[in-house]
Amino acid sequence: MAKVLIPTPLRQYTDQADSVELGGATVKEVLEALTARYGELKRHLYNDEGKLRSFVNVYVNDEDIRYLDKDATPVKDGDVISIVPSIAGGNHGR
Amino acid sequence: MIRIEKDAWRTVVGHAEAAYPNECCGALLGVCENGAKLVKEAVELENAFTGSRRNRYEVRPEDLLRADRAARDRGLDLIGIYHSHPDCDAYFSATDLKNSCPWYSFVVVSVRGGKVDHVRSFLPNPEQTAAEAEDVEIPSGN
Ligand SMILES: [Zn+2]
Repeated sequence: MAKVLIPTPLRQYTDQADSVELGGATVKEVLEALTARYGELKRHLYNDEGKLRSFVNVYVNDEDIRYLDKDATPVKDGDVISIVPSIAGGNHGR
Repeated sequence: MIRIEKDAWRTVVGHAEAAYPNECCGALLGVCENGAKLVKEAVELENAFTGSRRNRYEVRPEDLLRADRAARDRGLDLIGIYHSHPDCDAYFSATDLKNSCPWYSFVVVSVRGGKVDHVRSFLPNPEQTAAEAEDVEIPSGN
């Protein structure tokens, strides 16, 4: 089982759980198990095309899956999966 | 509504003024009770934008992840992100919106001539097409 840490604002869709233990051999499988259990979570993580939203990054332990095997990244027992948004900004008028 | 406690606000002000004329950014940790957010701690994050940081900012996801873990360890939650607007109003720009995330409050601090001038908070929508203003309360007398 892997542990998925749920960001605070999304806990309203996980019955307030701050982490969820799920089975799955890859990141894709674990996230599918997560959204299967908590259906409302899906539209917050995925867009209409079923892709992770542009601002959603997924980490396995300390590694960004974009630099591993993306959603095919293997998951072992005891791994911690984190959902972390991309945040930036600027170009303010002066 | 988001309320920022004294120590946290002092950190934000100190960071925004020290970074001037560059933009700064950081994480706001606290609790959310009955829909009201209370910021108990502000954590300075590095502005990771690789070009001129005078009018751009970027939060490194790894840094945000660390801040989130530190918050959990202390029984707090990551509830907001702050950044500064040097010599500019505290509004939510098109670039701010396009690179936002609907999960957090976005606190924007206007810094004029090196001193914090005013603050506003915004709640972006999931499509990143609009952000609504959120009431923000800071300690009186700074
Ligand atoms: Zn901005």
